[in-house]
Amino acid sequence: MGTMAVETWMVHAFCATIFCIGLVGILIRRNILVVLMCIELMLNAVNLTFVSFSKQLDHLGGQMSVFFIITVAAAESAVGLGLVIALFRTLRTVDTDQIQLLKE
Amino acid sequence: METQAAQTLIRSDLLTLTQNQMEMLLPYAWVFVGAAVALVLSVIRFISPKWPVFIVSLLTLGGGVWATEKVIHGERLLAFNNMMIFDHYSSVFNILFLVSAAVTVLASFRYLDKEGLQYPEYYVLILFSALGMMLMASSIDLVVMFIALELMSLAVYSLVGFRRADRKSNEAAMKYFVLGSAASAILLYGVALLYGSTGSTNILDILATIEKTPALVTPVFSVGAWLVMIGFLFKVASVPFHMWMPDVYEGSPAPITGFMTTGLKAAAFATFIRVTMSLGYGKSISAVFQHHMHDALWVCAVLTMVIGNLVALAQVNLKRMLAYSSIAHTGYLLIGLIVGPGNENGYSPMIVYLIAYAAMNLGAFVVMSMLAGREDHGLNLHDLAGLSSRRPWLAFAMVVFLFSLAGIPPTAGFAGKYMLLYSAVQAGEIPLVVIAVLCSAISVYYYLRVIVYMYMKEPAGSPANARASLWSALATTGMVAITMIVGLQPSQVLNIAKKAVNSLVVAAK
Repeated sequence: MGTMAVETWMVHAFCATIFCIGLVGILIRRNILVVLMCIELMLNAVNLTFVSFSKQLDHLGGQMSVFFIITVAAAESAVGLGLVIALFRTLRTVDTDQIQLLKE
Repeated sequence: METQAAQTLIRSDLLTLTQNQMEMLLPYAWVFVGAAVALVLSVIRFISPKWPVFIVSLLTLGGGVWATEKVIHGERLLAFNNMMIFDHYSSVFNILFLVSAAVTVLASFRYLDKEGLQYPEYYVLILFSALGMMLMASSIDLVVMFIALELMSLAVYSLVGFRRADRKSNEAAMKYFVLGSAASAILLYGVALLYGSTGSTNILDILATIEKTPALVTPVFSVGAWLVMIGFLFKVASVPFHMWMPDVYEGSPAPITGFMTTGLKAAAFATFIRVTMSLGYGKSISAVFQHHMHDALWVCAVLTMVIGNLVALAQVNLKRMLAYSSIAHTGYLLIGLIVGPGNENGYSPMIVYLIAYAAMNLGAFVVMSMLAGREDHGLNLHDLAGLSSRRPWLAFAMVVFLFSLAGIPPTAGFAGKYMLLYSAVQAGEIPLVVIAVLCSAISVYYYLRVIVYMYMKEPAGSPANARASLWSALATTGMVAITMIVGLQPSQVLNIAKKAVNSLVVAAK
């Protein structure tokens, strides 16, 4: 079996793909919990980008940023889940199609 | 051997703060400590936290303004390995944020009683959000900027959903959270790409790098720049990234809506200016990229003004109308951003407009939170009929704010708009000015309609149900005063803004 070198563009294409999956997921998925997961997916794609650029540039700043972003992402999902619970208590659903009181 | 290497790597100047830096940090430290004290007070079981937390919040914000005043004329200073900058620009914005937070706190006190929501966390969240704004305006590292942005946003997400039992409030919070987080992620991906193409997240370094080697403006850099811009356009709610805004503004408690339209928007614009400058906007680096940036902002500004004003015409709910009018004002502010490099006053007309807009819009929302019934009902146009006979002073204050929002002299809105459009004429953006003036003329219709209802219709429905709260009255008076002072003496405000912008221009070199 031949080996294949992982080239830089592959890593970046991979990150961009994950990011786009997250973005599209936010736009089309109907379950609010899946939407929260998609947000995490986007942030993790960003983390991966930072790490790969950090390696490529031989500069530690990118890896440092990742630690901060992980922390912020954790805080964000805590708030997000809190909001989901509040919403579920009043609306009894996690389906985003049901959330349309303000449309009128 | 290893310890020696480590010793050379650790630069002691990064671990210590000089006397000057400590002084410049004082406002931030003060607000942080105040927020922490308020947080502790709000969880102590054996006292009633209502008054202590309210007073601590006011002291914190007032003290923050005082501490900022003291350092406002200081030298420009960098700290934390060039991650933060303390200049006149950030000080001016800090005062704007602190004052808008203070007005929000004042307006909320009676409002929360009325809604049966007097929980002390509310004030703590406002304080943390104000701290996030302050850090945002003074950060020059994109990652620090992101963290500050999240500190500000996370607090506001919870504030928007503060009426926990109300479905509309929950829905608004959820929408804002999902779209806001997505925008933050997009912005951050842009930061990652900028980092990848220039090797730094510091906006001064990014500018220096692309000035030295314009060849670094690669497709990766451009995509990164675009993503960052999209993130910011979302935060300031420019068309086509505005869909979240009317819903969120309608669903959140009225004082918080006021806070969001002023504080959050000012914070986003404060950083937006820094970032567009660092991307080389208005400089002769990579002309194609600059043209694209200019054209995209131009289209956004025009769409924002036109759509914001046209949709506002059709609204009968005052809160929703002001939400759309806030979109329209974003459009005017974007003009300031576009013409910033091309006129003699730079970005200062934009800062004047931000100050004027903050005063008049906060004022309008304070009045609205005084008028609102439970769960923000009773804010439709017909509910306001005959307000002048029921509550003459409130109606008068509202007239001042609405005149100002419409841009009628001698109010702040007129002065701000005049300077903004004059700078656009200087920069040769005549079509933009024409569109702005036409849109402004449209806006007069829906602002004056409210005044017609207040003064020329017979009173309908229930008479005045509550006495005005002392605190809200104080806030309203203050905002009326600022609106008139800025309107009557715009040149002084312009001077302050000019000084702020000068410190910014020097910083970017």
